[in-house]
Amino acid sequence: MLSQLSSGPRSIGELAAPFSMTFAGASKHVKVLESAGLVRRRVQGRTHICQLDAARLSEAEAWLRHYERFWTTKLDKLEELLLADADQQKSGKESAR
Amino acid sequence: MNADAKPAVVVVRRFDASPERVFDAWLDPQIARHWLFSTPDGEMVRAETDARIGGHFTFTERRNGEDVEHVGEYLVIDRPSRLVFTFAVPKYSDEYDRVTIEIRRLDKGCELTLTNEMSPEIYREWGEQTRNGWTTLLDSLAALLDDENASDEGAITR
Repeated sequence: MLSQLSSGPRSIGELAAPFSMTFAGASKHVKVLESAGLVRRRVQGRTHICQLDAARLSEAEAWLRHYERFWTTKLDKLEELLLADADQQKSGKESAR
Repeated sequence: MNADAKPAVVVVRRFDASPERVFDAWLDPQIARHWLFSTPDGEMVRAETDARIGGHFTFTERRNGEDVEHVGEYLVIDRPSRLVFTFAVPKYSDEYDRVTIEIRRLDKGCELTLTNEMSPEIYREWGEQTRNGWTTLLDSLAALLDDENASDEGAITR
C-alpha cells in the first residue's frame, strides 16, 4: 500500500484493488497508517484521497517549494521590468511629440 | 503523477507584453541581468549568453562579497514560443535542473508556463533514499498491522 502511495496520491478504492480487499478493509488499513502518521487523508466529495506524509516526502516538497518561490520571485521582477519599460516607451513617445 | 514522473515545479504567469518581448528577456543579457538570477542586494558582475542551441550562459552575482555563478546550456530555442535550458549553481550543487519555458500568445499579452524538473541525479538519490526508507517502514508496518489485526476490531475503528 505504501509503495503504491509512494508514486502519488491514491483513492481508497485504488489502494484496495491490487489486494482484492474490501473498501472497509482498505479503509481500516489506511486508518492504521494515519494513526502512525504515515498517511494523510483528504475527502474530495465522496472519495477519500490518501497521500504519504513522511519526512522523506517533505524533502521533495521542500525542493518544490524552494523552486516555486524562486521562480515566482523572478517572474515578479520580470513583470515589473516589462511594465517599467512599457511606461518608459510611452513617456518617451509622449515627450517626443 | 505516475511512477516515472520526476517532481517538477510549474509556474504560470500572464504578461501584458508580447511573447517576443517576454522571450527575449530570457536571452538578452542586458535585460536578463536585471531579473533572471539577480537578488535585491546582489550586484551582477557577469551576464553572458550564447543564445543558440548548445550555447551556454553564465550569470555571476556578487552577494556579500561572494561570487555566485549560475550556469547552463540552451537545449531548445524556438522564438517566441519555447525555450528549454539546463541550469545549475555550482557553488551549491553540481546537479543540473531542466527548465522549460512555454509562451502562448493571448489577445492581449501572453501566458508563460515555466516547468522546472528536478535533476535526474537528485531524483535518483532521493528516490533511493525514499525506497530504503519505505522498506524499513514497511517492515515495521507489517508488525504493526499484525498487532492491530490480532486485537479487537472495535479498538481501531474509533
